[in-house]
Amino acid sequence: MFAGLLDGYTQSLLTFAGIHVIAAYSFYAPYKTGQVSLGQAGFMAVGAYAAAILTQKFGLPFAVALLFGGAVAGIIGVAVGFPALRIKGIYLLLLTLGFAEIISVIALSWEYVGGAQGFRNISFNPYTLDYVVGIIVVLLLFFARIERSSLGRAMDSVHQDETAAEVMGIDVVRVKLLAFGLGAFIAGLAGALYAHHATFMDSTTFNIMLGVEILMFVVVGGGSTYWGPLVGALALNAIPEVLRALREWLELVPVEWTKAYPLDRIYDFLYGFLDFENAKRLIAYGVILIIMMIVRPDGLLTRDSLRRLRIRRWKVGHA
Amino acid sequence: MRDSVASRVCLQIEGLCKRFDGFAALNDLSMEVREGHIHALIGPNGAGKTTFFNVVTGVLPADTGRIVFNGQLVDDARPYKRTLKGIARTFQNIRLFPHLTVLDTVMIGEHCRAYSSIWKALGDAVLHPPFGDSSTERTIREGAMDLLEFLGLAGKCDEKASDLPYGEQRKLELARALATRPQLLLLDEPAAGMNPRETEELDEVITRIRDRGVTIILVEHDMKLVMGISDRVTVLNFGTKIAEGTPEEIQGDPAVIEAYLGEDVQL
Repeated sequence: MFAGLLDGYTQSLLTFAGIHVIAAYSFYAPYKTGQVSLGQAGFMAVGAYAAAILTQKFGLPFAVALLFGGAVAGIIGVAVGFPALRIKGIYLLLLTLGFAEIISVIALSWEYVGGAQGFRNISFNPYTLDYVVGIIVVLLLFFARIERSSLGRAMDSVHQDETAAEVMGIDVVRVKLLAFGLGAFIAGLAGALYAHHATFMDSTTFNIMLGVEILMFVVVGGGSTYWGPLVGALALNAIPEVLRALREWLELVPVEWTKAYPLDRIYDFLYGFLDFENAKRLIAYGVILIIMMIVRPDGLLTRDSLRRLRIRRWKVGHA
Repeated sequence: MRDSVASRVCLQIEGLCKRFDGFAALNDLSMEVREGHIHALIGPNGAGKTTFFNVVTGVLPADTGRIVFNGQLVDDARPYKRTLKGIARTFQNIRLFPHLTVLDTVMIGEHCRAYSSIWKALGDAVLHPPFGDSSTERTIREGAMDLLEFLGLAGKCDEKASDLPYGEQRKLELARALATRPQLLLLDEPAAGMNPRETEELDEVITRIRDRGVTIILVEHDMKLVMGISDRVTVLNFGTKIAEGTPEEIQGDPAVIEAYLGEDVQL
């Protein structure tokens, strides 16, 4: 659908941004019950490798491999979720971090999937962007329904006070496992999509920093509403593009001006600092995270801000 | 006072023990709570009253002893299962869900009665056109609104739970507990922090809850409230039962007076 409409660069850009959006939702699902996971990149790896094995080694169609990747990640997610039930906060972070590392080491040492050479020549799926957009729409509808349902409220209550939720008759274990498994399933989908777009991956593709990035998407966008992951992932993916565009505009500034005001040098410094293509983006993430914690600790979008928007629209509509 | 001979046993406790690092919070406690009673549990600070609630609701496991509710042993059931069987509670230090609205808070309590399993809840959430509520959701909301009206909080249903004044937060906890449709309700110091007028209101509310057929175990320091509405009173001290009887019997019991000696309490 998009193949003919967009040039290759834009299409690839949107595809990776979209995969990040899906990954952000994979973080959002367990987070809704208060489980913070740094291991979503690990589940992406599981989905990516499972799906790529199916298409490359067994020649199955991509759609089947996509669902298989999600399912395998989901099942492993439930298995990891069981020990994760007993621990909270920083310990859960460490457990999920360790899980992602284990997956990475397995990918490195398993020759069947390329080992240190990486998994090569995965078949390229030209419709990845269509899949990505479709999955994002389904995820939005799904989480919109969850937010309006008793199950979503139960998840919120588990997030806010587990003991009180359990005493109110909520099966906290099942709710948390469901959320964790669902998050792993979504991450598996994201990984499978990534593998068949990038066509190459190795043990460092789904590294810990990707796990941190996924967390950042939700922290920046806001974890208290289902719009947050979408907004956060898109905003952070847009920053390098916006900077690139700014750079092009700066070329138009007359040279004499830049002698008086060294805009370009200031800009080059900022660009080098914020360029998400190099390692400095991690510093940029750190800076963004600190600013967010000070200015908007609940993210760009919160449930209260959405409620205010809705009330304003309602008032305008009835004026 | 109600006729204590006719009603059957709702909760039976036998030889309940709970230790924390060698300190006995509950020491071989046995008691019976009869259906339809308001049964008060009193005692000096640290007597084990809140531990008793935690053990009965399953928040803490008991070391030894039996808990029989409606003729069923509930010892190893997880807290949510005990709630499904009909045991509900409030907390001494209020534990509301701070970011939920008043209405949503009560709807949480209704959840366990509306859906027998998480898959049914998931199905009802997802298999419905986007935006708009399922019929179960509407039933839950109506039930919650009824309870809020019963406790006089209906006008505040859209406010955040944590924005309510203290006394109303206690009432909200009560509404949330009632939403689980309990047969036995454990109230942990419901009058704490309330002014005399609010306490009087509470007295009436508790009586009305009892009249709906809910058995109540009441932990409370306000002796006027306790002695006024209780059918039976059990006195704990250092985790051990030191007296049990009607309020009149308790007020004249020398062991009770000694336990409270030095405390500024008018029995």
